[in-house]
Amino acid sequence: MVVKKRVFVGLLFVLMVILIVVFFQSGSKDEIKLTSSPSSLESEMRASGPREMRKVVLFFLSERDNLFHPEERLIEVDKSIVLMAKRTIEELMKGSQRGFISPFPPGIKLREVFLCKEGILYVDFSKDIQSRHLYGSNAEISTIFSTVNSLAYNFKPIKKVFILINGDEKETLGGHIDLTHPLVPHYDLIVN
Amino acid sequence: MREKLFIRKTKNLIFVSVFLFFPSLLFSFSQSTPFIRLSVKDYTEYSRVLIESSFPPVSYHIEKEEFLIMVKFRASKPLRLQRKVFKSDFVKSLEWSKGPDYYMLTIKTESADLSYDSFTTADPPQLIIDIREKKREKIKGEFSEEKRGISSGVEKEEKKASQSILPSSFSRKKDQKVIVIDPGHGGIESGAKGKFGALEKDITLSIGLKLKNIIEKNLAFRVVLTRDKDENKSLEQRAAAANNNNAYVFISIHANGSYRREARGSETFFLSLNATDEEARRLAYMENNSSEIEKKIEGENEDNILMILWDMAQTAYLRQSSQLAESIQNQLNSLLGTKNRGIKQAPFKVLTGVACPAVLVEVAFISNPVEERKLLTEEFQADVAQAIYRGLLSFIRLNPQK
Repeated sequence: MVVKKRVFVGLLFVLMVILIVVFFQSGSKDEIKLTSSPSSLESEMRASGPREMRKVVLFFLSERDNLFHPEERLIEVDKSIVLMAKRTIEELMKGSQRGFISPFPPGIKLREVFLCKEGILYVDFSKDIQSRHLYGSNAEISTIFSTVNSLAYNFKPIKKVFILINGDEKETLGGHIDLTHPLVPHYDLIVN
Repeated sequence: MREKLFIRKTKNLIFVSVFLFFPSLLFSFSQSTPFIRLSVKDYTEYSRVLIESSFPPVSYHIEKEEFLIMVKFRASKPLRLQRKVFKSDFVKSLEWSKGPDYYMLTIKTESADLSYDSFTTADPPQLIIDIREKKREKIKGEFSEEKRGISSGVEKEEKKASQSILPSSFSRKKDQKVIVIDPGHGGIESGAKGKFGALEKDITLSIGLKLKNIIEKNLAFRVVLTRDKDENKSLEQRAAAANNNNAYVFISIHANGSYRREARGSETFFLSLNATDEEARRLAYMENNSSEIEKKIEGENEDNILMILWDMAQTAYLRQSSQLAESIQNQLNSLLGTKNRGIKQAPFKVLTGVACPAVLVEVAFISNPVEERKLLTEEFQADVAQAIYRGLLSFIRLNPQK
C-alpha cells in the first residue's frame, strides 16, 4: 500500500513538473526580458504562495460611443514601476473582456519598457505593430491612447509615454498620430 | 384617501384648464392690441427685414448711419411686438425702442458697406426693407456651371456667401490667398484598405481634386494640393506646403479605418496640445502672444529656437482650427447623412507644424463595407467636397481677411 501511494505521489510530481515546464516554455516565446515569470491573471491564480496584487484600470475604445471605457484587472505588485507597467501592457494585449476594441493586432510583442527621470516611459513594440496595423486614425488612436492612458492613469510617476518600434523612434504608426514626441494621456477621450 | 384623490383631481383640472385657456387668452389679447411683427429672411443677394402690422400703414422715416438703419414710426397707441428668431448674413440684430409719440426699430447690420431699399404694401399692411451689398463686383466663376444638385437653397447660400465674404483685394491674382488641401497618404503608403479593395489614398485624392475645383470656381482663393497624383509625400512636406504658401487654411482629407467593421461615421480633428499642465500654460501664453513670438523668430535666428517654434506652429492657431473643424463637421452632418462622430482633438503629425488654422477630416470608414461602397462613388465624393467647401465658407465668414 505504502509503495503504491509513493508511486502515485511520484507520478503526480512528475506530471506537475511537466505542466510547469510546458507553461514556462509557452511564456518564453514573448521575449520578455525584465519579468522573470509570466504575469497573466490565470498564472497568478494558479501560483502558490501569497502574492500581493493590485488593481489596475485599463482603457479600451468602444465603437458605440467612440470613447475609452475602463476595465479593471489585477496585476502582481512589484517595487519596480517598470515591471508593473509591463504587466499592464500585457493585460492590454489580451484585449477587452467586455467586447470593446482590442488595441493591438494579434502577435505583437513587447520588446522593452524603461522609465527615464523626467517621468517619460519608453515602450518598445516589435515591428509587427506597424506591419500588421490597419492604418486608420481610429485604429491608431485606439492602440496609442489605450496604452498611454492606461499607463499614466495607474502609475503617477509616469507622466508621458514614448512609443518606440523595434527600438527606433518612428514618425507615426500609419500616417496619423505623432510618435516623434512623448505622448501625454488624453483623458478627454475617456467616458464621463 | 378620497380627499387626497379629490385634491389631485382638482389640481389636474386646474392644470388642464390653464393649458386650454391660456392660448385663447393670448389670442384675445393680440386681437385687441395693435401689433407689429418683425422677421428677417435671407435671399440670394440680400436680406429682407419684413415689418408687418395689424393696422393700416402709418408714416415712417428711415435713416442710415454707418452700421445702423433706423426706422421711426408714428404711433400714439401702445403696440405689441412679435418677433421671430432669425439668422442672417447682413442683419446682426433688431432693437425696438419707444419714444413719447413714436416707436423706433434699429437694424444693426454686419457691415457699414451696405445699402437698402424700402417699400410698403397696403394689403397686407407691411414695410419691407431689403439690405444688400453696396459694391456688387462680379467674382469670377459665379456658379454658372457649378450646378450640383443638392438643393437650390444650398446654391443660393453659396452664391450669397461668395459675394459677401470676399474683400475687393481678393480679386487680383497676386493677392490671392491660398488654401492648402492635403489628400491623405499616397504612393507606397496606401493608408487604410477596404474589403472591396478601395484604397484610402485614391479616395482622398479624388475628393481633394473635387474640392479644389469647387473652391477655385466659386471663391477667389488659389488652391494648392499637397499632391495631385499618386505619389509619396512626407508629412513634413505637406505641412511645409501650407507654410511656404502662407496658407489661409489647411485641410487634410482622410478615410477612417477601425478593427471593427461596424465602425462608421464622419469626424473632424484638430490638433490636441500634447503637453503637461505646466507646458500647456506656457503654450496658452504663447498663443495669446503670438506676435511676440514672431518678433523673436526674426530677431534670434538660431536653428534651435526655430525648430522648437516650427514644431509647435499649430498651437497658436488652435482656437481657429477648432472653429474650422466645427464648421466642416456641421456641414458633413447635414449633407452626408453619415453618423456624426463629432469634433475631436488628437496629436496628428501632419497638423503639428502647420502655421495656420488646420483640420483633418475623416470622411467615413473605409473599413466598413457599406461606407466603403459609398466612398467609391462619384456622388458621395462630390457631396463630401461640397460639405467641406460649405464648412470652409462659414469659417471664412467668421474670419474675414484683413
